[in-house]
Amino acid sequence: MKQIFLLILLLIFLISCSNNNSEVIDYKDNNLSNGGVLINAMSAEPSNLISMIAGDSASSAIASKIFNSLIRYDENLNFTSDIAESWKISKNQKTITFKIKKGLEWSDGVPLTSADVYFTWKLITNPNTRTPYGADYTLVSEAKIPDEHTFIVTYDQNYAPALDTWASLEILPKHILENEDINSTFFSRKPIGSNYYKLGDWISGQQVNLIKSDNGVLGAPHIDKLTSRIIPDTSSQFLELSAGNIDLMNINPIQFKRVFPAKPKLKRRTELYKEMGNGYTYLGFNLNKKPFDDKRVRQAINYAINKEEVIKGVLLGLGEPISSPYKPGTRWNNPSLKPYAYSPKKALSLLKEAGYKMSGNNFLVKEGKALEFEIITNQNKQREMTAVLIQRRLKEIGIKVSIRVIEWASFVNRFIKTGNFDVVVLGWSLSLDPDQYNIWHSSQQGPGQFNFVGYHNEKVDLLLEKGRRELDLDKREKIYHEFSKHLLEDSPIVYLYAGYGLTAVNKRIKGIKMPAPPAGIYHNSYNWYIPKSLRRNEFTDK
Amino acid sequence: MLIGISLISFFIMHLAPGDITSSEASFNPKASEESRQKLRELYNLDKPVIIQYGLWLKRMVKLDFGNSFASHQRPVLWEKKDNNGNVIKGLIQESLPITLLINLIGIFLIFSISIILGTISAVKQNSIVDRSITFFIFVAFAIPGFWLALLLMYWTGVLNQWLPISGLHSLDYKNFSEIGQFLDLLKHLILPVSISMLSGLAGISLYVRNGMLDVLHQDFITTARSKGLEEKTIIFTHALKNAILPLITIIGLSIPGLIGGSVITESIFAIPGMGKLFYDSVLMRDFPVIMGILTIGSVLTLLGTLIADIGYAWADPRIRKGLVK
Repeated sequence: MKQIFLLILLLIFLISCSNNNSEVIDYKDNNLSNGGVLINAMSAEPSNLISMIAGDSASSAIASKIFNSLIRYDENLNFTSDIAESWKISKNQKTITFKIKKGLEWSDGVPLTSADVYFTWKLITNPNTRTPYGADYTLVSEAKIPDEHTFIVTYDQNYAPALDTWASLEILPKHILENEDINSTFFSRKPIGSNYYKLGDWISGQQVNLIKSDNGVLGAPHIDKLTSRIIPDTSSQFLELSAGNIDLMNINPIQFKRVFPAKPKLKRRTELYKEMGNGYTYLGFNLNKKPFDDKRVRQAINYAINKEEVIKGVLLGLGEPISSPYKPGTRWNNPSLKPYAYSPKKALSLLKEAGYKMSGNNFLVKEGKALEFEIITNQNKQREMTAVLIQRRLKEIGIKVSIRVIEWASFVNRFIKTGNFDVVVLGWSLSLDPDQYNIWHSSQQGPGQFNFVGYHNEKVDLLLEKGRRELDLDKREKIYHEFSKHLLEDSPIVYLYAGYGLTAVNKRIKGIKMPAPPAGIYHNSYNWYIPKSLRRNEFTDK
Repeated sequence: MLIGISLISFFIMHLAPGDITSSEASFNPKASEESRQKLRELYNLDKPVIIQYGLWLKRMVKLDFGNSFASHQRPVLWEKKDNNGNVIKGLIQESLPITLLINLIGIFLIFSISIILGTISAVKQNSIVDRSITFFIFVAFAIPGFWLALLLMYWTGVLNQWLPISGLHSLDYKNFSEIGQFLDLLKHLILPVSISMLSGLAGISLYVRNGMLDVLHQDFITTARSKGLEEKTIIFTHALKNAILPLITIIGLSIPGLIGGSVITESIFAIPGMGKLFYDSVLMRDFPVIMGILTIGSVLTLLGTLIADIGYAWADPRIRKGLVK
């Protein structure tokens, strides 16, 4: 993709003749009115629209506009009402009572009640449902629906991420799915939802059309129709955007920093948005292997890597260094923590403490063995480039590093699952719920589990267990600030960067918040609108 | 023969590490290893490969290609109806027509243009025309398709807005008349077809050129010339017929290629064809789809060889006579 991209750059220079029939549009019109079509591009086709089964991002992007959860995250990533108008946590923190809004309807007009919620919970906990996400919901020991508007769940042990799990479970209609096999039902391509859009039609491999639903839980949106074109190649997406055929696409740092500034005409009708992305990239050590069992070695490597340089080189500056596995700017992020500053001196002195000496040919040696290891990563250009930059910095202080790039499935099965690796460059998501038990608790080291770096710290184990049981937000915040501190100090991974999510949107789309709130620009997409004067020559197929 | 091919493909497919549960999307702390193990059991992926092959073969005997893992149990080959009368279309059923259309137009154009170019080159051997044709087809052969594709897309789509950039239909094509829809489709196919055609031109036209040169130097052509026949008649009725005989084999052998699309062309032009389908299913380790495409491919290869042989015998009396003897 990168090469293709560079070629486009070249292209732009090659063909300098420009389009003279450019229409003069005044993008200043801000009059709110309902109607219009928004066309966006997505790189992959949704696999199916039942998100508890799908799991890919294309599916959830579409499904989230069709379905609702009990609660959702607001623009500052706090919980707010969705299907449930309110929720109450009992004194012993084991029971949550959701009050469901009255008068809700599915888009086919059938009332939406607590029975649907109960049905969805039953469905995801059913062992025959082919979902990888069931585990969180089986923790519910009892679910009750005393009346149409109440849904009560009780846990055996208090479970703090509970609210987050209810914010990510999309409620499905009982009246349609009751007698269907969820694993093969037609419903996955013809869903009936409750949100502000409903599925118009879906042309396989080409486009998914959503049309406005007037009886949605959150009301009706301003834009009538949402067309998602499936264009796998990002260069083609970019050409479509340049030609004005699509309104919105995700872009990469090169496009953001180099291409758009070089094309004033395109720049004039496009707004570029930058928001904190959802993931971070890290360098993870295999703590079960020498010499990475030595904290000093890990810290030394952390000091020896210049994160600013990596961000500049790989993301063209469009990212941030982080010091905890949480989104900067949210309450879970501990603001008193600072990333390890770049300091080869500190790195060297730590390594000397650990018993390493500089040998004649400028490599660090301990007990006759040179300090050398292999970084593995999957086929991801940004991660490859990151590894190369790290390799160079580590060579400067006398560490020999080799790099190996492996296709994803082999990467996971032959190296991660078996623990047969030295160091990886990989990414984790910056989760909205602070619980990271699955990634850092020492009990989660089995094959296929996620603490594959083999991190073990009893204090952290305790904190993670406590954090899962504490539903009081302020107390929870303290626990996770403490946890982040230990994690940074122990340095089982080196936080490299959290990249920004970059989006280019045609200026005819109004109502997008700038600068983007923590939840990103999409969180209020039902408030977006297209002023009448800026609409395309509409195509109506009603 | 088919069993041999399918057995080998099945085993090679399983040699690659990973399965549907190890896709990048499932590397998610919210997805537990137990539930992934459960999925593996539901898909029979925990059984030994030979048993999985047996299960697959059992279904294949009934011509049941199974359901895709990755796209919510959609049938691999052909549509199925559920109890409520909802039709779920098959993956290959949806991808194949468009790939076939592109490839058929492509092959037709390749052969017709190549025959013309090859004949001209041969007749005007070593002239400037011959040289420039050879030069042109080699340049076309050597140019990376995706690069030229992007250039053309930029030129015809962004700068001049003559042709659509990607996709198969305009967004409002439903409002067109039937002829309008067809023209719309053709317009969308111009670029992808010409790009996928370019690299094929070189081989075939050189084939025609060399065949033609061989024939032109044979005795019966000299005889025809000495009879005082017109040069046109000699070239088109006598020489060309003989020169394009070997093409029958090539056409036969390209039959299996008809169902294979190019991943690069399809990705760039956003065409949901067979190439993309196969590529995605390999990445997702969607075994039923991979096996489905491979099986159809091998059946077509066998058929293609047969058709080529029969076609050859039909066109060339010398071979028919050999058969009778």
